[in-house]
Amino acid sequence: MSSPFEQVMIGSDVELSDEAELSLLETLDHVLNKGLVIAGEITISVADVDLIFLSLNVLVSSVEKANEVLRERARGNLAELKSSHDTAESQ
Amino acid sequence: MESSKPNSRETPNRTDGTGYYVYCIADSLAAQEIVQGPVPKAIEENVALELITRNSLTAVVSVVPLSEFGEDALESRLTDATWTAIHAMRHEQVVEHFASRTSVVPLRFGTIYMDSAGIEQMLGENEKKLSEIVERLRGRVEWGVNIYCNRQTLMDNITNLSPRLRQMREEAKEASPGQAYLLQKKIETQRADEAKVEIARAVDDIEQVLNQHSDGSTKLRILKVETTEHGELKAKFAFLVLKAEFESFRNAAEELAQTMEQSGIRIELTGPWPAYNFASD
Repeated sequence: MSSPFEQVMIGSDVELSDEAELSLLETLDHVLNKGLVIAGEITISVADVDLIFLSLNVLVSSVEKANEVLRERARGNLAELKSSHDTAESQ
Repeated sequence: MESSKPNSRETPNRTDGTGYYVYCIADSLAAQEIVQGPVPKAIEENVALELITRNSLTAVVSVVPLSEFGEDALESRLTDATWTAIHAMRHEQVVEHFASRTSVVPLRFGTIYMDSAGIEQMLGENEKKLSEIVERLRGRVEWGVNIYCNRQTLMDNITNLSPRLRQMREEAKEASPGQAYLLQKKIETQRADEAKVEIARAVDDIEQVLNQHSDGSTKLRILKVETTEHGELKAKFAFLVLKAEFESFRNAAEELAQTMEQSGIRIELTGPWPAYNFASD
């Protein structure tokens, strides 16, 4: 994978799961909801984020829209060179 | 330019209707080295990532139009889920890129400064705190742990394992139809209770064992009640794991998953994430 992101389902067997829907929601949860809040001139409040999540649930259940976003992610990844340095650092 | 003071911290807002979007904060030397190589695209098309440095700390930023990222504009943009998702993905790609190469403090989506002086001032005022976070996260990544339970498997298993339930089932077989009906009701209640206890115990065990292989954990809220092919999502955690410790963390998770499989419990790891859940002090 070109991204350092990896998702594994652990059971009696270890497999790479179909990550599309889950990783989208997980990513949005991290980016919109977590991370350090620093007083910028503009920052979004947590209350607003909860509202966003309501509409995101709708988005994620719409396969077409979710795919659009994931293609976006894939395009971004292509812009990155796969470097061995990356793999070495992330492990 | 309306600024009459020579002090650069007093410079007015950018007058061209743009501001700076801030992704993350990193060690200055490392950040400067990273941007020598290829970097992902910024949150907005056709602009490049920039670094704003003050002493040992550097903010990774890019220019954004306030027509999209101004306070009112941003609030209305955020009601468009596709817009939000795409921009959140781009934020993540930038943070991931830096986080996989050095220690960063990931910022939450939507931190915008009107000018570079504001960012320099923020770096200066928070230098001690930010440097401490950078050091605390160094060499570490976040791993998400999702715990699912397949209710059917758990229920079947509980009836087989619980002596009390087995006994009740035997009694029901020999009872009159009326009694059997009442007993069956009791069995169902008892099974549901025992299932709850079993899930709580499994979640505690997983948290406790994986804590031994991590530098911190936090229990996360469940975004929506998800029922997947793996069962219902019962708990979510984030663990801060030393990169060098990941193999032992993963092996421990695998061992737990194998022990708990018969109870219908499945464990899913997601990551490695920039340490979003451990970025605050």
